Amino acid sequence: MKIIYTILMCFLFVNVSNSQKQFLTKNGAITFFSSTTMADIKADNNQVLSIIDASNGKMAIIILMKSFMFKKALMQEHFNENYVESDLFPKATFKGEILNFETIKNSETKLEVKGSITIHGKRKEIIIPATFIRSENTIFVKGEFNLLLSDYNIKIPSIVSKKIAKELKVTFEFNHKPYKK
Amino acid sequence: MNKKKIITIILGIGIISLFIAYQIYNKPHVNVSDTKSDITITADQIINDFSSDETKANRSYLDKIIKISGVISELKVVKQKGIITLKTNHDFGSILCHLSDKASQKINSLKEGQTLTLKGICTGFLMDVILVKCEIIN
Repeated sequence: MKIIYTILMCFLFVNVSNSQKQFLTKNGAITFFSSTTMADIKADNNQVLSIIDASNGKMAIIILMKSFMFKKALMQEHFNENYVESDLFPKATFKGEILNFETIKNSETKLEVKGSITIHGKRKEIIIPATFIRSENTIFVKGEFNLLLSDYNIKIPSIVSKKIAKELKVTFEFNHKPYKK
Repeated sequence: MNKKKIITIILGIGIISLFIAYQIYNKPHVNVSDTKSDITITADQIINDFSSDETKANRSYLDKIIKISGVISELKVVKQKGIITLKTNHDFGSILCHLSDKASQKINSLKEGQTLTLKGICTGFLMDVILVKCEIIN
């Protein structure tokens, strides 16, 4: 009887500690903007998976390239087929660590996230400034940064190079909730 | 007379090609509700295919219009857009169906536990199989 009780307690303990450790969202939002004098292009992705390990402040993000939605179907086609080659590289990822994670408060806390982004098969180290808010049941993150296409070996043909910026503005917003199976 | 004819023909070709270029540039997105689905599948089957061989599943399902049926395990609305989670026999993975604007309005008439058929475009597999621009069939 005692053994059963111990086992039960163990399970309970493991479950409780697990559920408070991992925070996740399956519908994070990432938008990128390309702005030139010739054209403004915008694409939204609302299916981003982002996970924070609240025990050590590690963060991981996975993005499906085909989930970026453009206003014009032709642009979306070119993006997937010619620029990021989604069939070869279907996912972009970020892996990193939130610096000073334990200082996040229940109000806007400005911190930096340090890690590496992989897009189009190319990995690059990056530091991204972000605003965090932590409450009992959520870790909210938002921010923006710029991204150079050439860093990820994404080539834009010269015929459209005036319409596509060499540097994109990326904004993100994730509302992480405790992970339960 | 002959010169005039040639100029008219050249101009005509020019106008037609401009028109075609404009049509291509403004090509509309696939209309999910009006297009016949490429694949009909159950929630269990698609998650099995993705978790056993993702590369192969990507090849067969990505960008395709998929008619999928399963049991609703969760309904939610984020930024006015409905998201339906379909149950699978897997421990972690499920099917996340992001609804179109039109379908999002109908989400209130659905209940958890109900069996549902949806049609949407598959964009890939993270923890779950993801379908976007979903329309509710029944």
